[in-house]
Amino acid sequence: MNKNIIYGLICISLLGLGASWVIKKANSSYTISVIKDVPPFLFKTQDGKLFSEKEFRNKITVLDFMFTSCPGPCPIMTNNMIHLYQDYEKVDEVQFVSITVDPNIDSEEILKQYANAHGVNDSRWQFLTSDLEAIKDLKKNGFMLYADELPRGHAVKFVLIDRDGRIRKYYDGTDKASMAVLRKDLNHLVKEI
Amino acid sequence: MNLFRTFSFVTTAMTYLLIFVGGLVRVAGAGMGCPDWPKCFDRWIPPTSLDQLPDHIDPAKFNIVLAWIEYSNRLFGALVGLLITITTILAFKYYRDIPKINRPVLAALFLTLIEGWLGSVLVDTVLNPITITLHLLLALIIVMLLVYAAQEAFYLENPKSEMQSEYSPKLKWMFGILSIALLFEVILGTEIRGGLEMMREDNPIVDSQFLLQMLGPFKYMHTILGLLITGISGFLWFHLVKKSKNPSSLMSQTSTAILGLIFAQIVMGEVLVFFDVIPLVQLFHMWVASWILGLVTIQFTAWNKSQLSYE
Repeated sequence: MNKNIIYGLICISLLGLGASWVIKKANSSYTISVIKDVPPFLFKTQDGKLFSEKEFRNKITVLDFMFTSCPGPCPIMTNNMIHLYQDYEKVDEVQFVSITVDPNIDSEEILKQYANAHGVNDSRWQFLTSDLEAIKDLKKNGFMLYADELPRGHAVKFVLIDRDGRIRKYYDGTDKASMAVLRKDLNHLVKEI
Repeated sequence: MNLFRTFSFVTTAMTYLLIFVGGLVRVAGAGMGCPDWPKCFDRWIPPTSLDQLPDHIDPAKFNIVLAWIEYSNRLFGALVGLLITITTILAFKYYRDIPKINRPVLAALFLTLIEGWLGSVLVDTVLNPITITLHLLLALIIVMLLVYAAQEAFYLENPKSEMQSEYSPKLKWMFGILSIALLFEVILGTEIRGGLEMMREDNPIVDSQFLLQMLGPFKYMHTILGLLITGISGFLWFHLVKKSKNPSSLMSQTSTAILGLIFAQIVMGEVLVFFDVIPLVQLFHMWVASWILGLVTIQFTAWNKSQLSYE
């Protein structure tokens, strides 16, 4: 009888080992490809602090381009970003970045007001501004997004950036289904250490 | 040991293994590994690389690891289906006039066919939670029927078993209540698991412990019913092992093993609640529940045999 119990335990341990291998394999089979590095840039936040591509290090970032007086899709995008900002409250390593495409109007002061009006009360969500040419260049060449007719003709994409400052994926910032996919990918990156 | 007994034994063991593999598909999140049924990506053998994918299927759906996990569950399921069919044929060959053996096996075969059909419903409904639970529940009933038939066949060849044992004749209802409580406990467990998954989608906060707290009532019901099950099993152990006359070694060992496994279940349950929702622990928590159901079936069958001998 004792022998049977030992054999049984060995079999079960082997099954457990096999199963954990399969679970591991399944978890790592979910991949989000690396698109490219975010190029160097140096912008200012709503608090007047400098913000460069180095701030992406060791953080998982969701980034978009917007402007505060935008009547079109921006309110939907901002709304989606607010939901993410609130839901990921407890996950310190997730941050949000919104870059204005209308720097002539969106000064640090205006961005600060906009942030306050949308309930942003910590450093997890930064609003960035710079001069128009630098923003255009970053958007067009750094993020490969349409930037010919700023501010009106700005892209509605959310960009997922990983801990190494690499662009991993683009999402439609106005679309619910894309937001669900973004959350799934975001959780995946958070767990991937 | 005739061919039926060999086959019923092997089939029961393989069915248990299939329950494990099915649970593995669930915890690995491979349920939609093959988006179609019965074929996988429109092929009888799933693709091993992207270029084998048929043109009309979206490549974004293809994940080679998940496809092969789900495919091995289907292959294994087909094998068990074949084994149950052979066991049924053998049951009617050897025990044509003994309904207590051929009927449960026939019922198991019938339920197995439904299981196959449920598999296709699962894929069609993109893993409808109620269907997943039903899929597991039927598997548990199949395994209980197989255990019962195999044990009855054993008693036919060993008619003296349980002849010396005298157990209280009033326990019949207890086995029924215990089995139903156990099946219900499994349903509650799958509800907790399903609920967790749904909440994780709406609340991407990574901490599963926090989500578990939000589940509230289901979790408490699972705990309360667990306590009830522990109580009934302890009561049965006391009456079948301590208060009975000459309990068979099968009865003593089975009753003690049930208590031991319930203890293991409590430990695993607490690990899931207080430490982390570890997929491997989840898998074994479900699998051990299926063992307990099988052991309760053995316990009941042995008790039933002693009552017949007594009469």
